[in-house]
Amino acid sequence: MCGIAGLTLQDASLEPELGALLAGMLVALGERGPDSAGVAIYRDNGQLTVTKEVGGPAEVCARFAIAAERGYQGVGHTRMATESAVTRAHCHPFTPAEGVCVVHNGSFSNHATVRRRLERDGIAFDSDNDSEVAARYIAQRLARGDDLKQALTAMAGVLDGFYTLLVTTPTEFAVHRDPFACKPAVIAQTDGYIAMASEYRALTGLPGIKDAKVFEPTGLHAWTR
Amino acid sequence: MDTVSTVTPPAATSATTLDAARLTTREINAALRALPDGSAVTITEPRGRHNLAVGLVNRIGITIDGNAGYFIGGLGDGPDITVNGFTGWGVGENLMSGNIRIKGSVSQSAAASAHGGTVVVEGDASLRAGISLKGGTLAIAGDAGNLAGFMAQAGTILIGGDAGEALGDSLYETTIYVAGRIASLGADARRTDLTEDDVIAVKRLCDKAGFDHIDPQNITKVTSARELYHFTTHHASSY
Repeated sequence: MCGIAGLTLQDASLEPELGALLAGMLVALGERGPDSAGVAIYRDNGQLTVTKEVGGPAEVCARFAIAAERGYQGVGHTRMATESAVTRAHCHPFTPAEGVCVVHNGSFSNHATVRRRLERDGIAFDSDNDSEVAARYIAQRLARGDDLKQALTAMAGVLDGFYTLLVTTPTEFAVHRDPFACKPAVIAQTDGYIAMASEYRALTGLPGIKDAKVFEPTGLHAWTR
Repeated sequence: MDTVSTVTPPAATSATTLDAARLTTREINAALRALPDGSAVTITEPRGRHNLAVGLVNRIGITIDGNAGYFIGGLGDGPDITVNGFTGWGVGENLMSGNIRIKGSVSQSAAASAHGGTVVVEGDASLRAGISLKGGTLAIAGDAGNLAGFMAQAGTILIGGDAGEALGDSLYETTIYVAGRIASLGADARRTDLTEDDVIAVKRLCDKAGFDHIDPQNITKVTSARELYHFTTHHASSY
């Protein structure tokens, strides 16, 4: 498994609560990934802060006081490791380029092949995690001039496997699923925010959720602020 | 995940409300199991909770008042369940009898492997609706995602809207009716001529489901071409 939570705020009055809302979402997904947890927070001053550590999301969020964080966009991941070691370097989110944040639920079958190609292009890796290959590939495409949608579409043609991905930049928030959609995703939209989580139960603590437009995305959905 | 091994269910009356915000899933299901036939019960504040109302064999009426999680009503052999919201994966999985009505949309694998009973979805269904259906009935008012009816063996699937890619892939003996468009048929699925019996069957199913937007005369019927599930030496080179 693995759990993904993401929140991008349109209502600036919610920004002081971003950390608390995101931590609540991630802790609700604890059963999906006890091995490690990580959170990325985009702040108004342009700073992107990533906090990740071995341990369950409740433990990691409490230890690093994630609930006290404020910002306009956040991404969380709780990992159940299936293909590589449980260390801090293997934790999500991955930040393969400045401002770019990638979290993944799923597995890629040809990640070693794609990794070798990227390494031949001079790209360095922090871990042997398959998700990092997707992150580095997306960053390479962005560096070559793709927009986020183009980069994710290109990734789908190169990396083979199961994925629900949440990819963010300072101005974009994109959810991408493979056509078999074996890894879950739910999106909730209100006037105040767009939220994404692996399961609906992670969204139930968000303000106004009862009136939100809630749907299961397939394929690629991207929003720009 | 619940870790309680033994629980004392809340006292059951003929009309009971169970507050999911205050009870574990195990407590709720134990309370439901203890209700006598003919009881009516409402589960409030489900908040996406998984595994509500599973494995019940009593003939009771259950209303889940809100959005629920995975495997709602799974393994049921008796109860009638109404969900005032949407559900996650596997609603009515392995249903044996009884009815489940979801007033919103459902996520993946609705009515998977259902042997009997009826699952009615008033919204849309995501991928793999009716996968491996074994005799139950699945009626979807709206659209169905890719791979609906995958390897379905018996029973009926009605899709009131459009069907996604690979409809009825590797289909056995389930009959699929589609009122809207079909993106593509899966391996060994084929369009079949509609008979008077089919029109009557669709009309009865629409009446039961409460669907008034479907013209039973204007339906596409999909069944198995039966070329995939019998091995023949004629096809030996294909394997």
